Amino acid sequence: MMEVFRVIVSVLSAVAIPALMLFFLAYGAFKKVKVYETAVEGAKEGFEIAVRIIPYLVLMLVSIAVFRASGAMDVFITLVSPITDLFGIPAEALPMAMMRPLSGSGSLGIMTETMQAYGTDSFIGILVSTLYGSTETTFYVLAVYFGAVGIRNTRHALPTGLLADFIAFLAAVFFVGLVL
Amino acid sequence: MLNHIWLALIVIGILTAAGRDVYDVVQNSYGNGIPWDVRLEDDAAARAPVSQKGGVRTAALSLRKTVQISAAELRRHFPTDTIDGGVSIPAVYMQHEDGKRSLVMDVTGEDVPERFVVMAEALGGGQKLSAQLERKGDGWRMRIDDVSLVYLRKVTNAAFEIAGVAVQIAIGLIGIMALWLGVMRVAEQAGLINHLARLVRPITVRLFPDVPADHPAVGSMIMNISANMLGLGNAATPFGLKAMEELDKLNPKHGVATDAMVTFLALNTSCVTLIPATAIAVRAAAGSSDPAFIIGTSFLASLTATIFAVIISKLLSRVRIWRWERSEAE
Repeated sequence: MMEVFRVIVSVLSAVAIPALMLFFLAYGAFKKVKVYETAVEGAKEGFEIAVRIIPYLVLMLVSIAVFRASGAMDVFITLVSPITDLFGIPAEALPMAMMRPLSGSGSLGIMTETMQAYGTDSFIGILVSTLYGSTETTFYVLAVYFGAVGIRNTRHALPTGLLADFIAFLAAVFFVGLVL
Repeated sequence: MLNHIWLALIVIGILTAAGRDVYDVVQNSYGNGIPWDVRLEDDAAARAPVSQKGGVRTAALSLRKTVQISAAELRRHFPTDTIDGGVSIPAVYMQHEDGKRSLVMDVTGEDVPERFVVMAEALGGGQKLSAQLERKGDGWRMRIDDVSLVYLRKVTNAAFEIAGVAVQIAIGLIGIMALWLGVMRVAEQAGLINHLARLVRPITVRLFPDVPADHPAVGSMIMNISANMLGLGNAATPFGLKAMEELDKLNPKHGVATDAMVTFLALNTSCVTLIPATAIAVRAAAGSSDPAFIIGTSFLASLTATIFAVIISKLLSRVRIWRWERSEAE
């Protein structure tokens, strides 16, 4: 059942891009849009957005890199583990939960390390990979998406993202516990 | 909020690094200034002299050896670490023209103390740790250069390195952004994006009450979320940034996030995942008996998170400090 689903989704994701491109351009041509000229106009905009992101991304990633390199994460985990214990959250998965919203490459490394230490098919192993698979790098997304339109006052975006990550973590603990 | 967290990450990072370095100095965690008593054994696997390339090394003689370090020596030098036993580390022994002897240890091995790896890096040797040697009885006396301020150096290097990486990431986005926004522009001109928006109207009017149902932003947001669900990160980002641009056109206060933007990003970061491709690949590489097992758990966890994310974004928008009316335009 899971296997069928996996095959369907993987075929879909392989076909989606070429199909979309063909459909968009063919439909445009059918509607008498000057396809190439129009596409070039859009592409220029893409270039500008990518360049506009740079300062936001640099500052965001630097602050996260400083935090990571200092080893402050270990200190932080020692501080919060008594609280997370109350929720029944395994301490072994805490580094992953902390790193996931901060850094994509960092959490990938932690996932690999954790699975090597506790086994890929153990509760902890499945929990960390579920976590990696079910959430995004919140800080990165906020920097890029808000950077693209020059938003500096992000209002409740960060608390919303972090609370959602926390809920994803609790849900992952719950569902992994349910199936194992 | 982002301001404070951003500042906190930097301040906490630098202070922690400084604190750890001071602790290491006080405890002399790296055994600075204390010579090591070690034994050198011939490396049975490679007895032959090390070949030298183009005069890079000035040693008259160099041989492969193993350095034997006892547990007592490790405890004496690394007072803050827990030591299980002695270690033997592969190394190259060199005798120089002026009679001095030195040693270059390879710290890549499994049982090499973590401390040595950090020291090698701090002394600029990468994965090689250098030391000076003197005869002492039938063994050797080994001196390693002093190591200090490891964490502050790490922080500095990380900051400079990542600043370059960030630019590379953004530059790397240019191609894919240009391609997709080009294709998107054609679809938009043909009226396709509007059709798409109309299809999902019943959902979007509730999620984004401030966005007109047939606005181009809606089409882009749908494309972004569909691409994310399929795990097509490369296509998702351009659609998402396009959506942000369109949402910003409806924004009366430049530089302030609208409710619709926050809800969209909440959907985006917690996005329902149909297939967590990277996690499955890593599991397979790590030798899992059932790498795809996490599809079900990821789907349920991300679905739960997405539902809550939308609710949370709506609730928090009413909290006084984040209320739209109170946000100053620039």
